[in-house]
Amino acid sequence: MTIDERTRPAPASPPRGSGSATAKRILPLPVTGQEFVLIGVIVVLWVLLGIFTPAFLTANSIQPLLVSVAPIALIGVGMTFIIITAGIDVSVGGAIMLCAVVVAKTMVSVDIPLIGAVALAVALGLVLGLVNGVLIAYGRVAAIIITFGTANLFQFFALRVFGSSTVNGIPSTLEVFGRGEAGRTLGVPNSFAIMIVIAAVAWWYLRHAAGGRHLFAIGGNTNAARLVGIKVQPRVMLAYGLTGALVGLGACFILASGTATLDQSVGAGKELQVIAAVVIGGTSILGGRGSVIGTVLGAILVQTVTSGVTQLGWPSQLANLFVGIFIIIAVGTDLLRERARRKA
Amino acid sequence: MTLVNETTHIQVPKQPKKPGGRSVASRGLEALLTNRVVLLAVLIVIVLVVMTILDTTGQLSGPYNADYLASSLISAVPLAMLGMAQLLVILSGKGGIDLSVGSIVSLTGILFGLAYGPGGWDFIPALLLAVVAGGVFGAVNGVLVAYIGFPPLIATLATYYAYRSLALVISNQKPVSSTSIQDFYSAAQSVEIPLIGATIPLVPLGIFTFLIPTVIVVWIVLNKTTFGRRLYAIGTNDVAAQWSGINVRPNRMAVYAISGVIAGLVSVVTVAQFASARPDAGTSGNGMALPAITIAVLGGVAITGGIGRVSGIVLATLLIVWLNAGILLALPGNDGSQFQLLALGLVLVFASLLNGLTKRKYGGI
Repeated sequence: MTIDERTRPAPASPPRGSGSATAKRILPLPVTGQEFVLIGVIVVLWVLLGIFTPAFLTANSIQPLLVSVAPIALIGVGMTFIIITAGIDVSVGGAIMLCAVVVAKTMVSVDIPLIGAVALAVALGLVLGLVNGVLIAYGRVAAIIITFGTANLFQFFALRVFGSSTVNGIPSTLEVFGRGEAGRTLGVPNSFAIMIVIAAVAWWYLRHAAGGRHLFAIGGNTNAARLVGIKVQPRVMLAYGLTGALVGLGACFILASGTATLDQSVGAGKELQVIAAVVIGGTSILGGRGSVIGTVLGAILVQTVTSGVTQLGWPSQLANLFVGIFIIIAVGTDLLRERARRKA
Repeated sequence: MTLVNETTHIQVPKQPKKPGGRSVASRGLEALLTNRVVLLAVLIVIVLVVMTILDTTGQLSGPYNADYLASSLISAVPLAMLGMAQLLVILSGKGGIDLSVGSIVSLTGILFGLAYGPGGWDFIPALLLAVVAGGVFGAVNGVLVAYIGFPPLIATLATYYAYRSLALVISNQKPVSSTSIQDFYSAAQSVEIPLIGATIPLVPLGIFTFLIPTVIVVWIVLNKTTFGRRLYAIGTNDVAAQWSGINVRPNRMAVYAISGVIAGLVSVVTVAQFASARPDAGTSGNGMALPAITIAVLGGVAITGGIGRVSGIVLATLLIVWLNAGILLALPGNDGSQFQLLALGLVLVFASLLNGLTKRKYGGI
């Protein structure tokens, strides 16, 4: 081989966080550039939609939008934890389906109080999440593959519980999370408010608690994290367990915002919606970087697009095209910024 | 002399000892665990034997014989072809994966249907349109991944949404059909093979017109061309590949384009199978991408790249197709399709746990 044939090898990437301006800063800014951009995009979209469809900026339109944001953003908080550790969970759709159908069937057959239904959903979700977590942390297998597998298993169990028909006559036990009057406090949907509180606690934990910082370390470099004494496996397992528990609560939100009938399509495609919200929010799929605020904003953006397309009278399937484009723009600008930072 | 001395001190990492000193059972176990093709062949035999026993004891709702097995191969055509697509993409490394194949099948299927049906095109131009369109859609993934640096999961997740949406919008959510497309249905039917056809069961035509050519071409590309060998190099270590003079980016982009081309071919097969071009052909239910990835992982393709063989994909497809066909006979109706999910999930979880185990025990698949 001659020299001419050789292409220029890729330069090794310099260590992260270099540069004199950021050298003293241990924590990143509370709100990152990507999040300001997202807020800007959401504001612009809301203003435009408000101009072109006068019905958009009214409580009747915004309240249902926030209700449908709540489960995606809530599960997205857990998914952010997972993706920060450089993992992924594509089984949340199946897990939502299983939690929803078990809770729905239980509510139909026994007179279970609200707290009981939520506890059942969260406990079941936690178990499902821990199944993923144990397999991934201790079985040392690729997260995407194992969760594809467990997604099938969760769907199987859910379909067995469904028993080849819908669940009918679900009581209104969960109406405090629903779309109706009972689901709002001072005009704000309860499910959205609960999601915000949980997201705020998660934001604090990821930013200021040792356990949260450990997750970033694991995602940045697992071996280095292990060598500095971080208990990698329990931390990773807990991230999946947390997501499972949030899936349980999210399933309650989804049940509450639906009708008295639950069909077998519940949860289908939700895993991709959640992942889309997380990556639009600026969390790196490669691990080690991400924030809960971005995820919540990403979920709001996705839902705004979905509801905006319908209200503009466009074919509702067009919404997915915009979701795809937003993913490319959000991740693309992040990649270009990263490249510019590396060159500087 | 120093050189010899130094080499003797180098510890060879976990190389298995000479086979001569070990028992047949131990060597057999190693072959079973480390050679995925052997494991899959054994599993296929187990499935066939168990199902035949159930059949002879009268516990199945229909005969599980050669004719049934041959006719069930119709579902192997899209599965194995898209498995090949995933093999190429995952092989190229850096987290390679293609979630968008199902959406590409839907979208190119609609384009093919519109051209071949209402458009009145001939078959060959319409087929070429599907292939070229699939290639372009795949190349979009390729540019995003190879040139802009998107993680493949994200790039193909985005295009999964975009293509799926376009397929539904273009077709106005209605299947495209016409008399020419309905006549085309015959292409999916079973045929008798010339010369030896009378003695062996009828096999779906799609096996010969689409699946076997694709398998042969992918095998030749991977094993007999420099492009294929470069692909293994890139997937194993792309920095090393670049240093050894391989231009990584165009090669990596090419596999995504090829994946799109294969999806374009699959779309034509699906149109023939359903006798209409359905806008959700590749995305309804679990879609086509997840089963294809499952087949690839089961077939021994390492998700980290650089490891994977065509024979593994073929055997994994046969295992899943014949297992599913057996489940349908053992548990008729809804139960059958539900237990297929269970079987797929269990097989996938155990296959990946096994991959991890063999990696630690024998240092590689």
